[in-house]
Amino acid sequence: MTEIADTKAPAGQPADTQRNDAETIPVAKQTAQMLTKRILELLFLLMFISTLLFFLLRLTGDPAAVMAGETGDQEQLELIRKQYGLDKPLIVQYGVFLFKLVQLDFGSSLANAQDALGLVMERLPTSFTLVIIAFTANLIISIPLGAWLGSRPDRTGRKLAATAVFVAQGIPGYITGLLLIQLFSVEWGLLPSIGNQGILSWIMPATTLAAFQAPQVVRVISANVAEAMREDYIRTARANGAGFNTLLWRHALKNAMLGATALIGAQVSFLVGGSIITEVIFAWPGLGRLLVTSVQTLDFPVVQAAVFMIAIFVYFAITLTDIVFLFIDPRLRRQRA
Amino acid sequence: MTTAAVTDKPAPAFRFNKFGTGSLQLDLGILLFALIVIALLAQWVVLDESSLDGNLRFRLKGVGLTGPDGIFHLFGTDQLGRDLFYRVLGGLPWSLGISGVAVVCVAVIGTFIGLIGAWYTGVVRTIVLLGIAAMIAMPFLVLALVVVAVVGRGFWPLALTMGFIAWTAVARVIYAESRGLLTREYVLAARLFGVSKWSILIFHVLPGLRPTILVMGAFFFAVLLIIESALSFLGLGAPLNAPSWGNMLSDSRQYLTIAPWMMFVPAGAIVLAVISLNLIGDGFAELSRKRARAVEV
Repeated sequence: MTEIADTKAPAGQPADTQRNDAETIPVAKQTAQMLTKRILELLFLLMFISTLLFFLLRLTGDPAAVMAGETGDQEQLELIRKQYGLDKPLIVQYGVFLFKLVQLDFGSSLANAQDALGLVMERLPTSFTLVIIAFTANLIISIPLGAWLGSRPDRTGRKLAATAVFVAQGIPGYITGLLLIQLFSVEWGLLPSIGNQGILSWIMPATTLAAFQAPQVVRVISANVAEAMREDYIRTARANGAGFNTLLWRHALKNAMLGATALIGAQVSFLVGGSIITEVIFAWPGLGRLLVTSVQTLDFPVVQAAVFMIAIFVYFAITLTDIVFLFIDPRLRRQRA
Repeated sequence: MTTAAVTDKPAPAFRFNKFGTGSLQLDLGILLFALIVIALLAQWVVLDESSLDGNLRFRLKGVGLTGPDGIFHLFGTDQLGRDLFYRVLGGLPWSLGISGVAVVCVAVIGTFIGLIGAWYTGVVRTIVLLGIAAMIAMPFLVLALVVVAVVGRGFWPLALTMGFIAWTAVARVIYAESRGLLTREYVLAARLFGVSKWSILIFHVLPGLRPTILVMGAFFFAVLLIIESALSFLGLGAPLNAPSWGNMLSDSRQYLTIAPWMMFVPAGAIVLAVISLNLIGDGFAELSRKRARAVEV
């Protein structure tokens, strides 16, 4: 029963004393702390996913049968078992599996015998670029729009706009994608609808991907700005004669962004998830489509390599966002210890 | 803010009076969702075994035409001559059912793990927080794809997979909220009376979490509906011949040029369902904010 008495200061973390002093922790130190935390989380995640996959694959059936497909006969099964070490005890298999993972050895694709990691790395840059473009486009559109909506939320125009954003939030990305194809490729014939054929082909996939999460970011920022505009420091600034635009863009938005940090970091994860569907819709030669095809053909080495690289990429991006915000916002250095 | 006012058992999440619930969004959302539920019930009455069958002589026909066999096709027909109105209705148990089961799993698992993390300290909490932080970063469409590939498709595998993957965000919020609730005076009083751990968590903390669970439940219902359709759309969700909305969208891709209604019909159904759930979530959130403000004053 006494164990929750000291909930505020877990042993080994002098969090409270630092917070009380309200001293600014050096950026370098905090960056280091955060990196350690993120790396730990990433290791935990990779360990969890690989263990999950390993046991799911063996619990739900014979992996050799899965790999051999429907045409595999007994002889083939034996061969596969021997080749992949599936004839050994489970625990030995698990050990070997983990040992190979540490070396980033995922084996070769069951479909075409190419190196699984190589296949994944080949596709990574296209997906990466698509996500980055969508991420940037999303922020460039969402932040000003959110600020504008939040600055005077009671005006009719903005109420209408807010309703439109709300409806947009209810439209899943794959529907946006299909609508865009319907309009720009089918009806007007302006943009290519499949594959990567130069600069024009990037427009629709990037828009689709950005549209997955933009409405949510707009709504969060607008709510935060609306709240910030009611704060005392805004009233003070106004009393000192600051113009409305200064108030909004210099003072309120800056504070509103802090509340949106977590969301913006999580964006990357959503965008990567969304990029899978986007890539399938637009027949885009990226990692997401590779993942879907390998999942459909039960090509597990490739699936595993893809999931690993996605996890590492997402973590890399989240950590990067965290560090950027750490440098931008001094309050983060003070609060989170 | 006076803490004394909050020590009472929380009021019900919403109450109807003659003006509705007091939140326009919630009223609209409930109204829309009620229509969807009525449609869900109606499809068991309206649909018989033959209504989902196609008539190849009347394929890809537009909205509002009557077929050679005298059947009126309100939303047109698809590439196999199946009536899209009936298919959208027949998709309700798939799309709503799968995400409905999944959202219950998400709420239960998320709340349980959040409470565990909030109650214990030390190693248990560290593991819970590490697990949440790690899992939350992984796009759950990716995880769901991979797991579904192994456990197979169909109603239950899909519903349970999504339920067991998507709980992390709920757990994180529940954790933060229950940490706050555990410091309240009525919890302290209960502990001094020697009330057991589970009684405190279930009878004293859980009721205080109800608004949060309702809000997150509504939003997650919508999110899971989107994910379910996405999985079906990718061909990895509901069985291929099942009239799930994602499958219908997936079918429509090849016929965008000649039969755009094949896309608009299921898309409209998904958007309506998602918007109604988002309205409900927003409405709950608005009501609980209003109540919190009323307590503070």
